Amino acid sequence: MSKDYAILPCNGLDKLAGSLTREIALRIAEQTGSEIICPTFYRVSDVLYNKVAAEKPLLIIDGCGTRCAGKLAAEKVLKIAAKINVTEESKKHNIKIGSSLRLGENELRLCELLVNNILKDELEDKASQDLKETVVMPAELDYEIYQKDKFVFRLPKEGFYFTENDCWAYVTGNKARIGVTDYVQKSLSDIMFYTPPALGSEIEQFGEAGAIESGKAVFEIICPVSGVITAVNDELLDYPEYINDNPYEKGWIAELELTDFESDKELLLQFEEYVKIMKRKVDEFHV
Amino acid sequence: MSEDTFMGAPREKIDWAPTIDYTKCNYCMECVEFCPHQVYEVRENEEKRLIVKNPNNCVVFCRACGKTCGPDALSFPNKNETTKRIKEIRKEMEQSE
Repeated sequence: MSKDYAILPCNGLDKLAGSLTREIALRIAEQTGSEIICPTFYRVSDVLYNKVAAEKPLLIIDGCGTRCAGKLAAEKVLKIAAKINVTEESKKHNIKIGSSLRLGENELRLCELLVNNILKDELEDKASQDLKETVVMPAELDYEIYQKDKFVFRLPKEGFYFTENDCWAYVTGNKARIGVTDYVQKSLSDIMFYTPPALGSEIEQFGEAGAIESGKAVFEIICPVSGVITAVNDELLDYPEYINDNPYEKGWIAELELTDFESDKELLLQFEEYVKIMKRKVDEFHV
Repeated sequence: MSEDTFMGAPREKIDWAPTIDYTKCNYCMECVEFCPHQVYEVRENEEKRLIVKNPNNCVVFCRACGKTCGPDALSFPNKNETTKRIKEIRKEMEQSE
């Protein structure tokens, strides 16, 4: 059974990836009864689409990194249920997109693949629930508080390692839980989408462990430790705002089985070192 | 620790900055607007209207401007190689102390 979406494609005419979003939206709508939101009309007047946008899970289809559809959803304060970026998908599946604005053989092949993936996603979502988190965090964390204007930045004082890229790792035994610091979530402001890393994938230290996204930017989670992903925070798929609420507790990103922590540790920071860096960054940037 | 160093290594010794593929760049300047570190510079009257002016201002391992790039014209060094290099630089510094 497929989801009945409100589909918001970027519908861009700037490049072929944009044209492709239109075709993907049409096909999904035809096969599922989902409704398409026209981005051009929606920007001018939202009355027509307010009901469908509020009632159905929202599928964003962006052609490229400019993320016109994602940014429009942010402007309209919509909650995103699923998201495709055609350029990223074309790289992932190694199907090259041409430079003309007309859809050719390759583009139609990519289109079919992406439509099928979206339609079967729900089944896979259910199948991926078997790997669960195992890192036990303290019931209460003791935070250092640093305030700048109305913004409050928290930093847990004990048990966490940090990186200069504002991510953290909490290590117990051969497992680590990872996440971002308050500096990241405050800089991004309202986080509206979480792309988890793939379960079972092996990530090097400072490799990409998924991404989080706001209307402002996409932030690549820079993994503080090397290891294999054993759990992801599924709750963030429905409630990415947990990262804004508390990125150290309910807003954690993923867990890994460590592969070379002794070596990783060399490039990790303790609280005393990172807190200075965080304060300097906060002072330099008005978030 | 200051911004002149990254993970204890002098920033200028770490090769990390975007490379612009001028065959793809459409000069939309999204990257310039996005990056708060003045990595890029706009040169209106030159053939290459956008250059990487301050590569050492780029935050090591950050590829966020690349994710704003519609034509996918920005690329970055290999992260594993960069991590290895940082560790080597730190070792060299320890040995010379």
